[in-house]
Amino acid sequence: MTRLDVNGHVYEVEFADHDSLADVLQERLYLYGTRVSCAEGECGCCTVLVDGVPATACLIVARQAEGRSISTIEGLGSPDNLHPIQQAFIDEHGFQCAYCTSGFIMSAKHLLDHNPNPTREEVAEGLSGNLCRCGAYPYIIQAVLTAAERIGREP
Amino acid sequence: MTAELTRTYPPGDHAADTLAAGPEVTGGQPLVIVGRDVPAKDAVEKVTGALKYAVNFGLPGMLYGKIVRSPHPHARVLRIDTTKAEALPGVVAVVTHHDAPGLIWENAWFNYRGHILDGTARFVGDDVAAVAATDPFIAEQAVELVEIEWDVMDAVFDAEQARRPGAPEIREEGNERPAYQVHWGDVASGEQDADFIVECDIHFESQQAAPMGRNACVAEWTGDRVCVWTSSQTPSEVRDSIHEAFGIPLSKIRVQALPVGCSFGNWWVANFMLITVLLAKKCRRPVKIELSNHESMVTVKRRHNEHSRGRMGCTADGRLTMVEFDHVIDNGGYGFKDDVGFFCVDLWGRAKNGNFAIHGVNTNRLTAGCMRAVGDVTLGSAVERLADECAIRAGVDPVEFRLRNQIRPGEELRMQHSRHAMPNQSVEDYLAGIPESMRAGWPVPFRLSSGSTEDILTRGAEAFGWRQRWRGWGVPLSTDGPLRRAVGVGTGAHVCGVEFEGNTSAVVRINPDGSAKVYCAAGRQGQGSETTLTQVAAEALGIPFERVDYELGDTDACPWSHGSLASNTMYRIGFAVKAAAMDARAQLLEIAGREFFDLPAAELTVDRGMVRRAGADPEGLSFTVEDVLNVFRSDTLGQASSITGRSSAVPMPPATTFARHFACAFVEVEVDVETGAIRVIDYLAGQDSGTVVNPKVLKNQVVGGALCGSGFALSEHLVFDEVNGAIKNGNWMDYKLLRTLDFPREIQVIFGDSYDPVGPFGARAAGEAPAAAPGPAISQAVYNALGGIWVDMPMTPERVLTAIGRI
Repeated sequence: MTRLDVNGHVYEVEFADHDSLADVLQERLYLYGTRVSCAEGECGCCTVLVDGVPATACLIVARQAEGRSISTIEGLGSPDNLHPIQQAFIDEHGFQCAYCTSGFIMSAKHLLDHNPNPTREEVAEGLSGNLCRCGAYPYIIQAVLTAAERIGREP
Repeated sequence: MTAELTRTYPPGDHAADTLAAGPEVTGGQPLVIVGRDVPAKDAVEKVTGALKYAVNFGLPGMLYGKIVRSPHPHARVLRIDTTKAEALPGVVAVVTHHDAPGLIWENAWFNYRGHILDGTARFVGDDVAAVAATDPFIAEQAVELVEIEWDVMDAVFDAEQARRPGAPEIREEGNERPAYQVHWGDVASGEQDADFIVECDIHFESQQAAPMGRNACVAEWTGDRVCVWTSSQTPSEVRDSIHEAFGIPLSKIRVQALPVGCSFGNWWVANFMLITVLLAKKCRRPVKIELSNHESMVTVKRRHNEHSRGRMGCTADGRLTMVEFDHVIDNGGYGFKDDVGFFCVDLWGRAKNGNFAIHGVNTNRLTAGCMRAVGDVTLGSAVERLADECAIRAGVDPVEFRLRNQIRPGEELRMQHSRHAMPNQSVEDYLAGIPESMRAGWPVPFRLSSGSTEDILTRGAEAFGWRQRWRGWGVPLSTDGPLRRAVGVGTGAHVCGVEFEGNTSAVVRINPDGSAKVYCAAGRQGQGSETTLTQVAAEALGIPFERVDYELGDTDACPWSHGSLASNTMYRIGFAVKAAAMDARAQLLEIAGREFFDLPAAELTVDRGMVRRAGADPEGLSFTVEDVLNVFRSDTLGQASSITGRSSAVPMPPATTFARHFACAFVEVEVDVETGAIRVIDYLAGQDSGTVVNPKVLKNQVVGGALCGSGFALSEHLVFDEVNGAIKNGNWMDYKLLRTLDFPREIQVIFGDSYDPVGPFGARAAGEAPAAAPGPAISQAVYNALGGIWVDMPMTPERVLTAIGRI
């Protein structure tokens, strides 16, 4: 049994040595919002935050996550209490098929945590590790700018 | 978008409105929900990570399947020994061609034709056998234990070679399909009328849909019935293919198509789905096969690589007189397609004489089939290239040249002269075969019903500042050291669905609580139909959008329809959804008139969920939909607690006979003549889809098309091994997809102002023309930046440097 801290909950989980963090999130904890596509760290679909830093969960062996704090899309907001980034993605239609959306939102979370007022160019750069094959980039970028503005206005 | 918000139905004089609408819908009131930027219906699922794709689906007791693949491009199985694989603990079954039914299945629109397994491999990676085990790792090990003795045969990887006599025979039907031809006028007289003739000979590489979401299939048999869960944009076609491959009635097959992590044609029906069904049958347990990203890239499907040879005649003052093309498409191992191209034939059909011949040829490469804007990004680009050559010779601006030579509403669709449309028939003969009651209110057959490139080119040029930025053919806008900037324009057109393989239907149910649900087999691939089709239904029903839901994937609930292919969704499925909603509404008003108002249904209306007398004071007598359905709880009154509206009440006109959708792209590029790198630095997209049902959903489709077509133009191409034809770059490290920094951060989108007399509330189609326009636009801009040198697509740095003689 290994203890994993995911979204503020501590889970005791059993898994094989070769299991990736993405495998364990999906198959043991049923947190399948962390999507796996290429499994080679190229697409960014499985981006999670490890101690606040974006990482592709497909390339991390789950055991490496022990003792660290993992944040996934499920911990960001709930349907009744969406995070401003999630709400902005809805309002700006920052997705099509949405397979990449969790990864983009987690990358955006990290970006805005460190740069609350990014320029359009800084957003494009901050999201350049995530692929969207549908090509919703302009609206994804706009969603992050909208979220930044709204978060900035919060008391 | 204020114009959309205030548009009334019907706007202006559209004689054929009654055809689409059945009875009048909103009595000339402003549209309530069509035309509005409502949030995506499934937005919360999508931003919280709750949406379930097929890879996330599982059943208790499920086994995991893996596919045994061929290392050879062309080989026959002489002997296959599964003993060692079956002996591995955890392995439940192995299937080979000996287990497969000897039946052929076909994917929609000739995208695949073959057996599930037939003991012959036709490309490297082809399916040969499959293993099911209790754990995916065990299944993977077992794959290695299947022993195969091969008869390795000669292979051919080039379509021209595969056409020649004596080429290795890949299929028993022969390697080449009969030519698909479109012929009108007299090309010889078009040559005589021409002041000059230009020619081209262009090879197009193969693009990969490269969907982000890997796919999976889960199949479970219960007795002689099978249920399948998979991500697909074509639920009905998956069921059809299982029916063909297993020879069982459609009634015994249920397909629950789950959302797709983008598709672009990749996830219609794929052979791995049928292998899953076969494995589950043998195991008598549910089986799941999940493809890796690499398998998705190299074993399913790709865009054809194509070879285009064309000629175009033009007068000195820039009017086309003839166009002629001979075009070869490589179908790979199992593709069976022959018909790309009638869209660009229509777009440039003002040329009075034309002759197109398309040849579909099989090779020992991965199966090729329809990818978004099939034929447009290839043949369409070649036609645009020749048109540009004509414009150069005539000294005409490319926007003006397109305005002069492209089709307008009411003009002939040259596609009528193709084999699919009316073989050897005149329009009169064709019409004579269709009951008059059915075609009452049709627009004129084989004349473009609405829309064109005119409005979007004119207003697009204005918004882009074309006149200020265009310096003339082969002249850069600016030069700064090695950097050359220039502008370009391109256009594209595509059908609005096809009807040749079956009719499209939908059902709309009103529930006892006054909510409603749309049932249609559109699939969910990110195109936004959850939202737009629901908007169409809500508008027609008069029930608030929030009270209308959707089911787009379950074939037990949804009647047969083509899925979201061939830009089918809004024009055809939307038509069916509207017709079904109108039928449900009519039934509702009939009950209300009889039981509540003592009035004929025609005098009633339903608006925002309330039924009342048409034109009456909204504060006056009215009943909720729920009241109408439930106040009298007695069947003796003939009252239903729920209503089922069917689309079959209104015959649907054939899409290809009337409608096309149009796009244009205005771009500015920067070419570095030292590195060969091309940057697109400005992009304006024009889109004519008729009525815009949801502006933000449509903009997403347009921008997605821009990225897809630009990827094809700039970087995307599969690399095939010269020795065995295998794909060498089946991953995203080596297959270059565009990222946020590879494209303008903002794209301006303008919509053409047109209204279609057939499509729902005047809407047509959306998704493919916008992928066709960017290639020609970027090519033309690069031509200008380089001082008059064409670079074939994909315009990689190597190709740019080669074209300008630097390497």
